[in-house]
Amino acid sequence: MNTNQETFFETTDDSSLNNNSFGIRAKVIGVGGAGISLVDGLRFDNFDFVDNLIIDVDMKAVADSLASHKLTFGRRHTRGMGTGGDVNLGKRLAEEEKDKIRKELEGVDLIFLLAGLGGGVGGGAAPVVARLAREHGALVFAFTPLPFSWEKARHAQAEECLSELRKHANAVIPLPNDSLLQMGGEDSTALECFAEAGRNVSRGIAAICNIVFKKGMIDVDFSYLRKVFSGRGGRTLFGYGKGSGPEGLREALRDLLVCPMLHMPDVSKAADVLLIFVQGGTSLSMSGLQAVSKEIRDSFKAGEDVVFGAHVDENLGEEVKITILGVTSLDPLVPTADVAPVAQQVLELGKQPKQSHRSKLEITGTKTEKTSSIATRKKRGKKGDNKEQNTFFFMEEENQRGIFDDLPSRNMYEGEDLDVPSYLRRGVKIVI
Amino acid sequence: MSKIIGAVEIGTSCAKALVGEVTEGKSLNIVGKSVRKNEGMRKGEIVDFRKVASSVHAALEEAEKMSGTTVDSVYLAQTGAHIKGSFLRGSANVASPDGRVSVDDLQTAANEAKRKQPASGRSYVHHVRMPIQLDGRSVEDPVGMIGKKVELIYWSIEGDESAIRMNLDLAHNYGLEVADLILSSIASSTMVAGPDLRRAGVLVIDLGAGVTDLALYRNGNVAYTGVIPVGGDHLTGDLSMGLRVLEPYAEELKIEYGKSQSDPSDADQQLWIIGNKTIGDRKVPRKTMTDIIHVRIVELFEIISKELGDLLDTSELGAGVLLTGGASRLPGIEQLASKVLGVPVTKASFPSGLGNELAQPENSTVLGLLHYGLEDHGLPGEQHKPASSGFIKKLGGLIGI
Ligand SMILES: Nc1ncnc2c1ncn2[C@@H]1O[C@H](COP(=O)(O)OP(=O)(O)OP(=O)(O)O)[C@@H](O)[C@H]1O
Ligand SMILES: Nc1nc2c(ncn2[C@@H]2O[C@H](COP(=O)(O)OP(=O)(O)O)[C@@H](O)[C@H]2O)c(=O)[nH]1
Ligand SMILES: [Mg+2]
Ligand SMILES: [Mg+2]
Repeated sequence: MNTNQETFFETTDDSSLNNNSFGIRAKVIGVGGAGISLVDGLRFDNFDFVDNLIIDVDMKAVADSLASHKLTFGRRHTRGMGTGGDVNLGKRLAEEEKDKIRKELEGVDLIFLLAGLGGGVGGGAAPVVARLAREHGALVFAFTPLPFSWEKARHAQAEECLSELRKHANAVIPLPNDSLLQMGGEDSTALECFAEAGRNVSRGIAAICNIVFKKGMIDVDFSYLRKVFSGRGGRTLFGYGKGSGPEGLREALRDLLVCPMLHMPDVSKAADVLLIFVQGGTSLSMSGLQAVSKEIRDSFKAGEDVVFGAHVDENLGEEVKITILGVTSLDPLVPTADVAPVAQQVLELGKQPKQSHRSKLEITGTKTEKTSSIATRKKRGKKGDNKEQNTFFFMEEENQRGIFDDLPSRNMYEGEDLDVPSYLRRGVKIVI
Repeated sequence: MSKIIGAVEIGTSCAKALVGEVTEGKSLNIVGKSVRKNEGMRKGEIVDFRKVASSVHAALEEAEKMSGTTVDSVYLAQTGAHIKGSFLRGSANVASPDGRVSVDDLQTAANEAKRKQPASGRSYVHHVRMPIQLDGRSVEDPVGMIGKKVELIYWSIEGDESAIRMNLDLAHNYGLEVADLILSSIASSTMVAGPDLRRAGVLVIDLGAGVTDLALYRNGNVAYTGVIPVGGDHLTGDLSMGLRVLEPYAEELKIEYGKSQSDPSDADQQLWIIGNKTIGDRKVPRKTMTDIIHVRIVELFEIISKELGDLLDTSELGAGVLLTGGASRLPGIEQLASKVLGVPVTKASFPSGLGNELAQPENSTVLGLLHYGLEDHGLPGEQHKPASSGFIKKLGGLIGI
């Protein structure tokens, strides 16, 4: 089911490795049917050092996959069939096979976990895998398709799985099918929507892997990435933008700020930790990058914990792409006590990052300047008076949250959250 | 002798205050009015007390200034998704040996009806009395009539105690007494549906910014009230997300170009999101905008229909459905509502003589507060309580004295 997957993994750049991250091992793990199809959709052309693995109880799904490493479990209980959407079964079976799973996690530092949370295996086993990975000291990024609102029972169940997963993974990027359906063409189908999920997963993984493993204009090493993303349980944001021409970078920024992924229910509008990855042709300039990085950080209220990467890819010509991934920490940057010794070592190693983004890119956010810029923005953003004529200010103080985003409880009616736009829940296609 | 009385609706979008002058106990003159933007509320509930307090106080101050007097007590509107209504009944055998109903009999029945206390953490907001039943017949005033048993029925509205507390505190902090707490939907209905319509049967829907308030009348009496936590803010939020524009722009677009149903003329119409075509401005298809609104409105009326169930009976709704509240300004909303509800729907109008500035749909609640408050809703024989003492009783009820 590999529909026009974007080729984010293909950098024609020499594939020399980022020396600072030498020896770091990454693995993409797909759990359950949706997870498997996402892994199958990825292209690993230039990332042969990123392993992949699929895990499922469904023998047939596993057999049909192209993945290089496969793990089946729970055979005795399900006779090789699926769980029938039973999360508890998925969870129990994964727990029973802990040791098998652990073996696959050994020595892995960075894990991309892909699982459809509406599934029995995806929803039940993925949180177990995340927990085990965490016990091994790995950094875990999860990308998780969420069922359509009209799959009522699955929907409620997926919500629970999501909060369970958030306890263990360092960042969980939800990919709600409702919203993804909005992003395809006028009459896009569920298949197109899965393809869109695949493109997002691919963008996210590519951004992180490029920054960590590939050598570019600006990179950070893995230990720094691990350090800033060490929190858990926070809400996340994920978005991308594209531009071309002489003003390509600015156009990409504009495109990023209206990225539909950033304007979905439940997406955080501010990030305590923010990863920014810019990829462009030879026209990328340091000063341009610096300005754009500042605008992005301001837009999402990012503090010091920014992972910034910029890579030149001559093939892109005048095209520029930006991908961002952010987390709102609940408990910012308190390294958790249960991180295994391996992680500790890496943290120690990373104490004096040889080249952090800070040294390479002069970040202008000194304390005083930051405060003053917030103060002026506050004034400007005041509801009603003299609105800025610029979509860059989409994330202004008053507007950083959707209208109902700040409410503690949901507005549930017959299993649906009424504060979520009706057109999303009803699957009505919006064309803009 | 004239009396000065205030009314306050702390609406999700705006705090609204009125100052009324009652002369000779009957003619009401509105002498002060103010509306202030309120940013501390969501869906009819307070989320930021200070912000709400500052807009409520500013509105009161301005209304008082305009009237040239000060008010001591106000009628206060109450809404919110936490509000629930149900019927309470109480009865009493006629005590006097001559078989004539006394004021005390009525009081006994009333006490029995109101004896049932709401669950802990909940308080009564408002008891709406139905006609008194004397041996199974509805009578206006049974005192002195011969009979065996009187029965009292109330539509009793209760809500979350802390939410109600906060609402009351907003008035108290300004040094005001609350003469009475009145359910928003009942206040609005008092204004837009007169006794004839209520007798014929009518459903009044007040579409506010944060909530939609419902009140259904049959044979002149309240048969149901409800609050649905969806309002004009949801339209704005949906537009903001769907069109990916800032909320203030979404709100402006909605007010200027919003409609409930797309028509062929929308086909290739494009709207500028900001309007002055400067940097950052872009165009959105009008049809998209209408579609976003359309699905939300359809859903809202479907919910209303589900909530009302069998009560939504055309034969019992001679006066049909009336829409009021700021969000009812949306063009075409009555046609769409009618299609979904299967009942005739019109936009409500106001009694003549109100003046253009006041006779606007968003003012239904605050105007209705004054009118309802000044009517006598007590039991026959009970003295119509002047503003302040009513509240003491209410407060007693709230804190469980
Ligand atoms: N022309 C219009 N078209 C559509 N909506 C409108 C129009 N004019 C005002 N509104 C909406 O009406 C709402 C305000 O109505 P109203 O003043 O009755 O609400 P409120 O009393 O503040 O809120 P609530 O009663 O829900 O607490 C806002 O959502 C506003 O956007
Ligand atoms: N994005 C995406 N979602 C999928 C895909 N297949 C199934 N889903 C969603 O995932 C859920 C079913 O999960 P699935 O993985 O089939 O079940 P499991 O094998 O028991 O985990 C449903 O809510 C589907 O909407 C896919 O290929 N891509
Ligand atoms: Mg399966
Ligand atoms: Mg109102």
